Amino acid sequence: MSDAYSAQVRFAERVTFVSERRHDLEAQFDRVLREHGAAISRLAFGYEAVASVREELVQDIALAIWQGLAHFRGECSERTFVYRIAHNRGLSHVWKRRPPHHPLDEIEESDQPIDPRPHPEEQAAQTDQRLRLMSAIQSLPVTHRQMIVLMLEGLSHAQMAEVLGITENNVAVRLNRARNMLKDALGAKP
Amino acid sequence: MIEDRELDAWREQWSSVAEPTADFQRDFQRKVQQRIKRQDRRFVLGNILTVLGFIGILIFAWYMRHQATWMGTGWATGICVLVFVSAVARTWTLRRTWRPESQSTRAFVELWHKRVAARIRLLRISIYLSIGWLIFCAVLMAANWSIIGQDVGAHPKQWIVLLILCVLMQPMLLWYGVRWLRRRKFAELNEVKQILDEMDGKSVT
Repeated sequence: MSDAYSAQVRFAERVTFVSERRHDLEAQFDRVLREHGAAISRLAFGYEAVASVREELVQDIALAIWQGLAHFRGECSERTFVYRIAHNRGLSHVWKRRPPHHPLDEIEESDQPIDPRPHPEEQAAQTDQRLRLMSAIQSLPVTHRQMIVLMLEGLSHAQMAEVLGITENNVAVRLNRARNMLKDALGAKP
Repeated sequence: MIEDRELDAWREQWSSVAEPTADFQRDFQRKVQQRIKRQDRRFVLGNILTVLGFIGILIFAWYMRHQATWMGTGWATGICVLVFVSAVARTWTLRRTWRPESQSTRAFVELWHKRVAARIRLLRISIYLSIGWLIFCAVLMAANWSIIGQDVGAHPKQWIVLLILCVLMQPMLLWYGVRWLRRRKFAELNEVKQILDEMDGKSVT
């Protein structure tokens, strides 16, 4: 009788622990999405030009973060963790969905860009510049795209090395190369 | 401090790319939650189906075993051995090739490469297994020809249809299916190799 009772208690404790853990994970997940949601959306731009498909990619990334959160033990910073998942999912996406390059007129704008500008002409010019930049980034080889995107997100060389799994020296060399390629691509755009 | 105006301009353009509104964020979270629930359901359903499939095969093998003929025993043994060997081959070939996405990109791509190579190996093994299965069926039929022969004499048309479906169509389907899969997997392998080369700075296109 007492054995059965203690087994029931253990089971109830286990259920409580699992539900609490799930609740904690959900809270953590919501916070991660709040803090890094915008960065994830931007990263997705580097891998997908079409808005509807990009939205799916962002959802894929969020789903992968949810799956990864349960195993996240804080070996790296949360930002690095999120960026790693986003880039790895982006790489898989590029493989599944080819061709990688979309010309300027195929790139769709995001549905909700918060970019309040006083003058429509200025806004149009800046939108055009932004589209040129996006198109140029998407025309780069995928590994260069990663470098540029991480650079634009403001990561240091050490952080980039941590996300990509290469040395800092390698980051510097590749970043320089990627930047030159981006400049060429921007120069080549009409 | 060195000023990098070009980079600052790019960053400004980049940061204004996609700042989602609160409505969009809410809608996005709802969609993600839906997908998480869907995935949980798929996970549970997948496990239930695997268990049901395994039980189904056991019941089938048990049923065949109790047919009290060599043919029945042979089928039961053959199916059990095939399922067991396939499961072991799959687990063994794909061992240590799962892809945790929270690793660095380099580690992720290396594992990806390993996984595709393992899948190509698994394809080769599945060809051998299929050929082995066909030979096993042929031997089993030959060994039980005294029983089957009477049925073939009684219903020749049905047996011709069965022969065409099993003996001729199966290798053809196998041949084209495997060729298509192999092409796909080799294309993926080349793509992953290219990414690895780019990471090593070997080729820049």
